[in-house]
Amino acid sequence: MSVALQPSVHSSSSSRHAAVSIDGVFKRFGNVHAVKDISLEIPERSLCGFLGPNGAGKSTAIRMIMSIITPDAGTVEVLGSSALKMKDRIGYLPEERGLYRKMKVGEFIGYMARLKGVHASGLARRIDDWLERLALPGVAKRRCEELSKGQQQKIQLLSAIIHAPDLLILDEPFSGLDPINGRLVIDLIRSEQARGATIIFSTHQMHTAEALCDKVVLINKGEKLLDATLAELRAQHDDRGLVCEPRSNAQAFADEVIRRRVASAARVHDNGTVDLDLATGSTTESAMRGVLEIAPMRSVALRRMNLDDIFVQLVSASDGSANRTTNQGASIDA
Amino acid sequence: MPDRRSPSYLGKIALIAWREFRHTALTKGFIFGAVAMPILGFGVIAVIPAMLSQKSPPLVGTIVVADPSGKILPRAKTILETPRTKMEKAEEFATHPPTDTSGRFDAMSEIVNEDLQQIEVVWRSDDSPNAIETIKSELANGAILAGASITAETLDPALDATSFGLYIPSSLSPKHVRQISRALQKAVEDERIARSGLDRAMLARLSNQPDPATTRVSPAGIEAKERTELRLLVPGAFMFLLWICVFTSANYLLTTTIEEKSNKVMEVLLAAASPMQLLAGKIVGYSMVSAVMLVMYGGLGIAGLSVASMMDLVPLSHLVYLVLYFVMAYFMVSSMMAAVGSAVSDLREAQSLVTPVMLVLIVPIMLWMPIIENPNGTLATVASFVPPAIPFVMILRVTASTDQIPLWQTLLSIVWGFGCAFGMLWIAARIFRVGVLMQGKPPTPRELVRWAFVR
Repeated sequence: MSVALQPSVHSSSSSRHAAVSIDGVFKRFGNVHAVKDISLEIPERSLCGFLGPNGAGKSTAIRMIMSIITPDAGTVEVLGSSALKMKDRIGYLPEERGLYRKMKVGEFIGYMARLKGVHASGLARRIDDWLERLALPGVAKRRCEELSKGQQQKIQLLSAIIHAPDLLILDEPFSGLDPINGRLVIDLIRSEQARGATIIFSTHQMHTAEALCDKVVLINKGEKLLDATLAELRAQHDDRGLVCEPRSNAQAFADEVIRRRVASAARVHDNGTVDLDLATGSTTESAMRGVLEIAPMRSVALRRMNLDDIFVQLVSASDGSANRTTNQGASIDA
Repeated sequence: MPDRRSPSYLGKIALIAWREFRHTALTKGFIFGAVAMPILGFGVIAVIPAMLSQKSPPLVGTIVVADPSGKILPRAKTILETPRTKMEKAEEFATHPPTDTSGRFDAMSEIVNEDLQQIEVVWRSDDSPNAIETIKSELANGAILAGASITAETLDPALDATSFGLYIPSSLSPKHVRQISRALQKAVEDERIARSGLDRAMLARLSNQPDPATTRVSPAGIEAKERTELRLLVPGAFMFLLWICVFTSANYLLTTTIEEKSNKVMEVLLAAASPMQLLAGKIVGYSMVSAVMLVMYGGLGIAGLSVASMMDLVPLSHLVYLVLYFVMAYFMVSSMMAAVGSAVSDLREAQSLVTPVMLVLIVPIMLWMPIIENPNGTLATVASFVPPAIPFVMILRVTASTDQIPLWQTLLSIVWGFGCAFGMLWIAARIFRVGVLMQGKPPTPRELVRWAFVR
């Protein structure tokens, strides 16, 4: 594998005990290598995002963490043991949603809770409280099939957290949700983390992962491309640039910046913003001062590569079609 | 934080079993189909006699008989007014069944009920030459109920007269027509016998065909009364009871497993329970469904036999064997259905795998008659040890045989049968744990074998 940016395999932030520890795991389905030699540790109480394109092997990795499928080689340790023994301490939302269509919502959640060891006394009240919290009041008596797709997804999420798990694994928890419900789920994930749960979720929504995660793991074609905390990631992918929005004549501003050697390159966008690549030897502070001396500005901000860019960059490099330059000039909100 | 205590291994199985039972047996569809319908059926059978016992409409009016001999009127009057015994009615129904549906229904009603009908008939003789014209005119103006013309030829035993004239108004009910006809027919018959100088009672005795009192004597010298119904109906009833209860619940197991796979709820369940717990819970749950059906249908059958005072057809030992072979049959069939259900993704795909299972299960039905004809024959003996036919064949044999089945065969069938049942369960479990997570095209038989025997 040839990857331009290769961060460390293990996060340096894992001073806490690992909630999940995967070591040299392989899984093959027929001739397809779904997972190839993945090793990683997810610290307790952390919020870890599994990122990767479709068919990358995220769900296979998650299923192996859940012990729903067994790896061909390697070991998976969950909460210090096997997931088989820890099922009741784990909450799981699979990628493919499933409910008993004819079962009443309250019964379904209650059944899952009972299977996870929640005592029957007070369970109905607890379910009602949670339904209220998820903006689904009064649906306990309705059949699952009577709910909308988004509502069904929230019911499934609730059935994964009703037993207050120590480890919560959510496979694509935001897919199919509108922005309001997406925000509701984000709040729920944050509150579960605040309660003390370790959370792993897979997603394609990079901005959500960036906003939520302590750490991200990027998988492509069954291989781990990235395993780092967001802080580490930002440090590694700091591309030393500014995004400026001059009050007038962006092109004249860009020319002047180059002429004064404040930046080594400047790209003017249609929306009037200018991307600057800092010159060798200049700091962001000196560059900002230089920019403000050239022209009055609406805004000046540090340019950061976001997770979306890093994702595209790493996956593209991994796929052998380096299209890094096309992404480099994209407009970025700091 | 909820009150959380990890349920035991068996606790999870019990939870799964209860859910499966509750969502199958405690549904409106099941209660209506498997519980209410048999009760309704039984109720209808019990209620029909009561419905039939409704009092018939009264037979009131004047019947005119044109009979030169004058013998028919008093005979017919006596016959019509004398209540018949149930046996007499049944014999008449057997020898002269009414040709129309309504007639047969009325005749059956008469057999089961006492004669409560009000009969107020005035008989009048009319020997005038134009009696028939008078009868017709009186019928037209509603003065009489019916009129009959019995000629001398009709009464002559030497002649073979096949009819007599009966005149009725258009409004007379078929039941009343049959009553009047029967009284007149019987009167003519009696008069002919009297004229021939024969004794009617003697005639009845002479024409009575005696029934054989059959006793079967076994090589061991044990005598048993031959009961045809015992040898044909009871074994069939036992086997079909077993077959229907086991197959219905195993079919539920198949469809719910497929539904859980196609609904994608399987993965949610497997996050909470192991495949073995899931399979065990499902099998236990549907065994309760099956048991409910067995108790319902079997109980109704026994209640029916009890009402008919025929409980001697079902000795207690048969019921013990029924329970034993029911458990064996259920584990065998449900194992096969669970394996098939786990291996496919929808019902359409299941057809190709269920067909061989069904063919195997139909074999005992095909062997029903040959086995009860010769319960200790080679075919029956060999089939008693071929799974999954064992429980079905054995229940046929033990309930059909007038001879004792060799004890070693009974014991071996039980031991071998339960061994096979648990073997099938083991194979089903191996297939189930792989199959439940498989999506896409259904496996080939070769792949199923690999799932079962290769890690």
